[in-house]
Amino acid sequence: MTGANRPWLLALPVLAVVGAFLVAPYLNIVLMSFRVPSTTQAYAPGFTLDNYAKSLFDWLYIEALLDTARLAVIVTVSCLILAYPVAFHLARTTSRWRGVLYSIVLSPLLVGVVIRSFGWIILLANNGVVNQALRSYDLPRMQLMYNEFGVILALVHIFLPFMILPLMGAIQGIDPRLEEAARSLGAGRGTVFRRVILPLSLPGIQSGCILVFILACGSYITPALLGAGRVHTTTTMVVQMLDQFLWPFGAALALTLALFGLIAVWVFTRLSGRAMRGMA
Amino acid sequence: MTRLSIERLEKRFDKVAAIRGVDLEVEEGELVSLLGPSGCGKTTTLRCVAGFEAPTAGEIRFDGEPVTRLPPEKRDIGMVFQNYALFPHMSVRENLAFGLEMRKVSPNDVATRLADVMSMVQLSGYDERFPRQLSGGQQQRVALARALVVEPRLLLLDEPLANLDAKLRDEMRFFIRSLQRRVGITTLYVTHDQAEAMVMSDRIVVMFDGLIHQVGDARTIYDHPATRQVASFIGSSNFFTGTVTGRDGALIRLDTSFGTVACGSGHEVTTGETATAMVRPETLELSPAGAEGGFSGTVGERHFLGNLTDYRVTMADGSVLQVQGSANAAFAPGEVVSVSLPAGRAWLVGEASA
Repeated sequence: MTGANRPWLLALPVLAVVGAFLVAPYLNIVLMSFRVPSTTQAYAPGFTLDNYAKSLFDWLYIEALLDTARLAVIVTVSCLILAYPVAFHLARTTSRWRGVLYSIVLSPLLVGVVIRSFGWIILLANNGVVNQALRSYDLPRMQLMYNEFGVILALVHIFLPFMILPLMGAIQGIDPRLEEAARSLGAGRGTVFRRVILPLSLPGIQSGCILVFILACGSYITPALLGAGRVHTTTTMVVQMLDQFLWPFGAALALTLALFGLIAVWVFTRLSGRAMRGMA
Repeated sequence: MTRLSIERLEKRFDKVAAIRGVDLEVEEGELVSLLGPSGCGKTTTLRCVAGFEAPTAGEIRFDGEPVTRLPPEKRDIGMVFQNYALFPHMSVRENLAFGLEMRKVSPNDVATRLADVMSMVQLSGYDERFPRQLSGGQQQRVALARALVVEPRLLLLDEPLANLDAKLRDEMRFFIRSLQRRVGITTLYVTHDQAEAMVMSDRIVVMFDGLIHQVGDARTIYDHPATRQVASFIGSSNFFTGTVTGRDGALIRLDTSFGTVACGSGHEVTTGETATAMVRPETLELSPAGAEGGFSGTVGERHFLGNLTDYRVTMADGSVLQVQGSANAAFAPGEVVSVSLPAGRAWLVGEASA
């Protein structure tokens, strides 16, 4: 027996770590989601489908899931619109500031989500920086957080790099000669963008949107901190259940969200894949 | 058909001058090549004509109207790029129809024009293929068809054959040339390949360092190069320097350290001035030592090249001339020979004038 014949042995350490700390807990969550909730212990004896029935058919939770989805879509689309010009510029610039711009784009990743959310609270709170500035000009106070607006704003900021990076990669792969060819054939700048650049950057749009959508669906800290109990997403509800020791129901709710995310991504991939025929 | 005029064109990138004053007229239906080494400004000149670069100074005119300030999409040009630049997400048909759509051609006309152009470039039946499913030569023909189908005023080709293998390149030279003649379109062709320029062009423009050194047909440029750079870029040549001692009719007597040579010249020279002449290796003739009118030399190296033999002959003054003769006439290394120059085949080369 030689090592070369069994390269998978090299993967054993990582498999052990992932198995022990990711797969096993996940299986436990799945198991937990079928247990009977109890207020006096972790769960009561026996198994039930009630947890899923409640998360799928109780309007309160359906609404939270729809809100989560709407929030995630708004965040994803905003990120896409804001990120595209930045990504295009970064992909095409020959300026010597390119490296600096690139690190500015990446810099949000250096600060944790909690810190960045607190940063936004300092800016957006009722007596925060923005409202103090408004007051000093005798302008009316604006409700910038404890609502969806604040949550969306902070999430867009936090997830922007995850949209810019895949977009930039895709745009860098587009030969600038293609733009010139299109223009030589009579296409103005707008048409070149619509007919050449945009379709060819679809793979980047696709991966960026999937990343941001999934991250936004699963985000908890920012909705919790900037929503401060007034914005209800599925994730904040899951944590509420855990606080109330309703672990089995919390588990079912979390898995429902995960399943919903998977289905949404699958549908999106199918749809965007159709638009990308002929490429790859 | 369109006449292209380039007047005193200059282009600087930051502090580097890419073109330093180019004047050129391309007549209706003419194919003119811009030939030169990389960095000579030929591609920049083409890109200024296309509208992708804004010239620093000068004017570009199509049929007398200035187009210098028009964006590329308003110039009505067809361009073929070195890497073809076919739209990878569009089928052959969509690639070809793109320019027609931009010109709002009616769907019926689009169909007939596509069919015409596809048979012209021998690609009928490839409508639904995507560029990556085509060979290099086929992609090249799609690129050509895409540029021609819009019936542009001007066809611009930027090293279109550089990415093809040698055999296909030879075929495509004739294909592009005959297509251009058939369509009768005014064409500007950028290449660094002298053979390509000579086969394809009505006239060749030889550029170095942002300047035109010579404009002429292939024969003129080969036999009567204007400058030393032109002579060495196109074919091989021997150079020798001497003093002008007078005239023999149209020819100029040049006294060199191995003997007096009668040279043709395209520019005026005065007696007593120092001048450089060039002579092509295949115009020199070798004969056994002592022959009438020849210069004495010794064969150094001899290389058999198949269709001819290449000699290096050391002259009396120690200079070495390259001589190419028929493959049969064999002179051995070390043999003393007589080198003769037919009158007028040596040519005085000048300096570039800015």
